Amino acid sequence: MSQFSGPSDLGDEERDALEALLFRMADDEYVAAERYIEWQIYAPTLESDLALANVAQDEYGHARLWYDLLQDLGYEEEELIWERPPEEWTHATLVELETESGDWADTMLRTYLYDTAEQLRMEAIVDSSYAPVCDRVGKVLAEESYHREHAQNWLDRLADEGDEESFARVQAALDRLFPHALTLFAPGPHEEDILEFGFRTETLSDLRTEWLEIVVPYLESLGLDVPEPDEVEPVRTTGRNGDHTDDWFDLYEDFTATYRQLDFDKPTTLRGEGA
Amino acid sequence: MIWEVFRQEKPGKYHQHCGNVHAPDRDMALMFAQIQHGRRMQTNSLWVVPRDEIGEVDTEDAKFGGTTDKAYRWAMTYNNVDASFAAEVEESEDEQREAAKKREAAKKQEEAQS
Amino acid sequence: MDLDTVKARAGPRQFSPKDDMPEEYRKAATRMIQFHANSEVMGGYLDKAFTRMAPSLDRKLACTAKTQDEIGHAQLLYRAAETLGVKTREEMLDELERGDGKFLNCFHYPVSSWYEAPMIDFFVDGGAMRRQATLKSTSWEPYAHAMDKVCFEEGFHVKHGEDILRELMRSSKANQERTQEVFDTWWPRILQFFGPMNSESTHNDFAQQVGLKTVSNSELRQAFLNAYIPKAEKYGLEIPDEPRIEYDEENGQYRVVEEDLDWDEFWTIAKNDYEGSYEQIGSRRQRHEAVSWVREAMDGWEQSSAGTTPQAAD
Repeated sequence: MSQFSGPSDLGDEERDALEALLFRMADDEYVAAERYIEWQIYAPTLESDLALANVAQDEYGHARLWYDLLQDLGYEEEELIWERPPEEWTHATLVELETESGDWADTMLRTYLYDTAEQLRMEAIVDSSYAPVCDRVGKVLAEESYHREHAQNWLDRLADEGDEESFARVQAALDRLFPHALTLFAPGPHEEDILEFGFRTETLSDLRTEWLEIVVPYLESLGLDVPEPDEVEPVRTTGRNGDHTDDWFDLYEDFTATYRQLDFDKPTTLRGEGA
Repeated sequence: MIWEVFRQEKPGKYHQHCGNVHAPDRDMALMFAQIQHGRRMQTNSLWVVPRDEIGEVDTEDAKFGGTTDKAYRWAMTYNNVDASFAAEVEESEDEQREAAKKREAAKKQEEAQS
Repeated sequence: MDLDTVKARAGPRQFSPKDDMPEEYRKAATRMIQFHANSEVMGGYLDKAFTRMAPSLDRKLACTAKTQDEIGHAQLLYRAAETLGVKTREEMLDELERGDGKFLNCFHYPVSSWYEAPMIDFFVDGGAMRRQATLKSTSWEPYAHAMDKVCFEEGFHVKHGEDILRELMRSSKANQERTQEVFDTWWPRILQFFGPMNSESTHNDFAQQVGLKTVSNSELRQAFLNAYIPKAEKYGLEIPDEPRIEYDEENGQYRVVEEDLDWDEFWTIAKNDYEGSYEQIGSRRQRHEAVSWVREAMDGWEQSSAGTTPQAAD
């Protein structure tokens, strides 16, 4: 039985911790998707275009599951996305980095690194003390397995069975992204409370260890040279405390400009029955 | 060797899987398929495909159409506007409604079984 | 099959890759389906922009789903075109990148604001859907099969577009005015979407004789105007004074004064020679080339595995 069945069971400290966790998860998904959609129409082939677009839609959908729980806590979509200052977003820098035109290796590696972490962190909230989180996590997990398989199928081919260029591109992406991928496990606000109240049942450092145990052997099996995690120079900004790279501020400006221009009363929702 | 057989009833219709035959090669598969699968049912064309060349993914492995709400993909969601002004839009919406119903029913059945 | 037989037999879904079609038919069908497929890709360049602009999370999802569908349609259509045996998909995509591939006039105009979303997603798509519905009865069976799936999906696109228009026209006065301005700009392009009427285009007659097309451009435009002018007016858009459109109460038909439309621009676009053409095709070229390394790597795997994965026989 979950300890907290809904918003009314939460005290102030519990609420703050839960919000921090939800923002962190939702922002990761939202910003990851905002980068993936940049590939639409630009992917290497028509079929690969459709597949990545679907991954992007799934990630937006996952973001929405968590933003919806924040709405249950009293926020509106405007405050969660459109009018929230960019320095209050707590996604990892991995998902915000701009991808250079044509760098499919970057995105395939990014989705692999991200979705492997995603699986682990979803498993770490399956038994969350907040019931509405438990209710939603199954839907996320069910969609994530396609994402990982998709990314791995690409990486197998680009790195292991590919040509010199494709291998070199995956290696370059790994060198660039790996330090940022570690920020997926960087602590943010209220981390201790998130654990203490049981919203997540595993520590970030345990999740990081499990993640490394999966991704390092896999990437090495492709012949890639994986940076030594403890020797990697940590990136100056982890994203988790609202500190971000310039790429994020540009992206934020880009996707919120029309919202501000239109100045509608409410963001439109399009939901199915029972959603 | 096993060959999967696809039959098209009439010109313009889709080829649909109707069975298979054992045969050592494609020509023999075509000979056998005509008799085994085309001798009574209306047939305009048959295709034979080596079974080993067929890949499969099913509901055990995949969540077709996803598990989160994707209502935005369906015409019926846009119920502030009315499709009846153009027959082709209305027809498309009807087809989508029908497809969504089927999908929902299958999902419910799956949930009931698990 | 000779051409006379083709004309005599022409009917819905009448010809398939099994038939030995004359070169004139195969070329005309390839030209038509390739144009259609190219348009799906190049329309995507416009729709893609709206995903980034979308002012709500759900609208964003709808925009990405819509763009995804268009790429899916391109996939179906290039395949239908390939079945004629004239060009491969790769050749057609290369032609598009080189600026030799033709596509709809409306997709030669880059977009820069959300006010344009309903112009593309409601009016242009509505026109396209009207045309596509009639192509379910085209004589080339693989094309008709592609249309089954395309039309199944398009209803969402048009309603999504109308919903965006409705939202804009029910919002602030400033938004309504901007939408009207953008509509004024797009309206003549949308009318030209159906091509010139006074001398039906050269390929059109032949396409109808062999059953590739079943409805003339002027009938399509008429049906479009009958459905979409009332819609525009319902949301408070004013139909621009030019081009002049006269409504004949007696037969319920609209008459567009053809000479009010800028046909020089239309024909410049048809040659991919408009400034917007260079911008859109240039973007296509740059993006397509940026990922050529991936396609080359894919070709390598395809050759090494002969495209199949050996499986244990059961």
